[in-house]
Amino acid sequence: MIELIGVRKRYRRKLVLDGVSFSAEKGNITCLVGLNGAGKSTLLKAIMGLTPIHSGRILIDGKSPDISTYEKVAFIADHLTMPPAMKLSEGLRFMADFYESWSAERAEELMRFFKLERGERIGNLSKGTAAKFNLVLGLAQEADYVLMDEPFSGIDLLSREMIADVFSSHLIEDRGVLLTTHEIADMEQLIDRAVILLNGKVAAAFDCEQKRSEEGKSIVDVMREVYLS
Amino acid sequence: MKTGEGWEEVVFNSRDPVYLQVVRHFMEMIVTGRLEAGQAIPSRRELGALLKINPNTAQRSYKEMEERKLIVTEGNSPSRITRDEAVLRTIRSELLGEAVDAFVASVRKIDVPVEELLELVKARYTQAAGEPAGSTPSEKGGGRP
Repeated sequence: MIELIGVRKRYRRKLVLDGVSFSAEKGNITCLVGLNGAGKSTLLKAIMGLTPIHSGRILIDGKSPDISTYEKVAFIADHLTMPPAMKLSEGLRFMADFYESWSAERAEELMRFFKLERGERIGNLSKGTAAKFNLVLGLAQEADYVLMDEPFSGIDLLSREMIADVFSSHLIEDRGVLLTTHEIADMEQLIDRAVILLNGKVAAAFDCEQKRSEEGKSIVDVMREVYLS
Repeated sequence: MKTGEGWEEVVFNSRDPVYLQVVRHFMEMIVTGRLEAGQAIPSRRELGALLKINPNTAQRSYKEMEERKLIVTEGNSPSRITRDEAVLRTIRSELLGEAVDAFVASVRKIDVPVEELLELVKARYTQAAGEPAGSTPSEKGGGRP
């Protein structure tokens, strides 16, 4: 389980995260929902230790993050961070050298799934293809948790569908996924839990099926309530 | 008419629990004969991929269907649609009942004598029975200005 307890963070004077507490469990897909600037990406970076927090605690399976976290938690940023001159095959090798948790077999499967060409240069990829390759790099790590920042943003419909297909496949199953998106409508049936962020605070956190069965509300309905109230 | 296994056309609404929508889809497939008594059904993982839903949700639908005795799972073999005639009859009457309730609810807003309504239903139903399912109703009823 990834746990956040009262996490606060400032950028200069601005309080970006103002006492955020929630958890994301293994075997579940948890979605951080929020408008632009709600602090979603900052939260993911904070979990990865890429940005310091000012107070509060972050625990991964009950322990504070350390160097071993990077083998346990994969982070898929909202853009590809590989050198553009590399070929896809070189990018894969780079990851294999870097991560013990890397699975060449999984990488191969994902490359086939997304129909990616190993010989292409990373810098020449279209936005949608780059997003797919980014997912390959993250999901081929046999990590217990996967964090994804806006995996659907700015991508054409068919690529989005393809990426959504990954979520109902064994490539995700049994892992804990924490993702951010503002294109929630595509994801409604795929998400177990939603955490809605507003002004650096958790405005609502709920089990989606439970919300539907008890109140007949979709995630978008709850978002409207939160943002328009 | 589209053949195939009938999984690809499922459209979920976002306000009803997904697992119940899945159960309902199974019931419809059973009633329309696309799933037969005793037929093996996809594993929970396969179903998740087919319907593009979360595997946890697929699991929950199977649990619900097991509780309602729509499917049976023995040991390690795949789950199967029940062969229990009584259960199968219940599914049919349940779906029919729901469809008629929805129809009645929408027609009640229009004040119409039941005899007239029944005549109309009978005429339309006979007409529809002669056409392939899923085709659009003919334009006979459309009045011109």
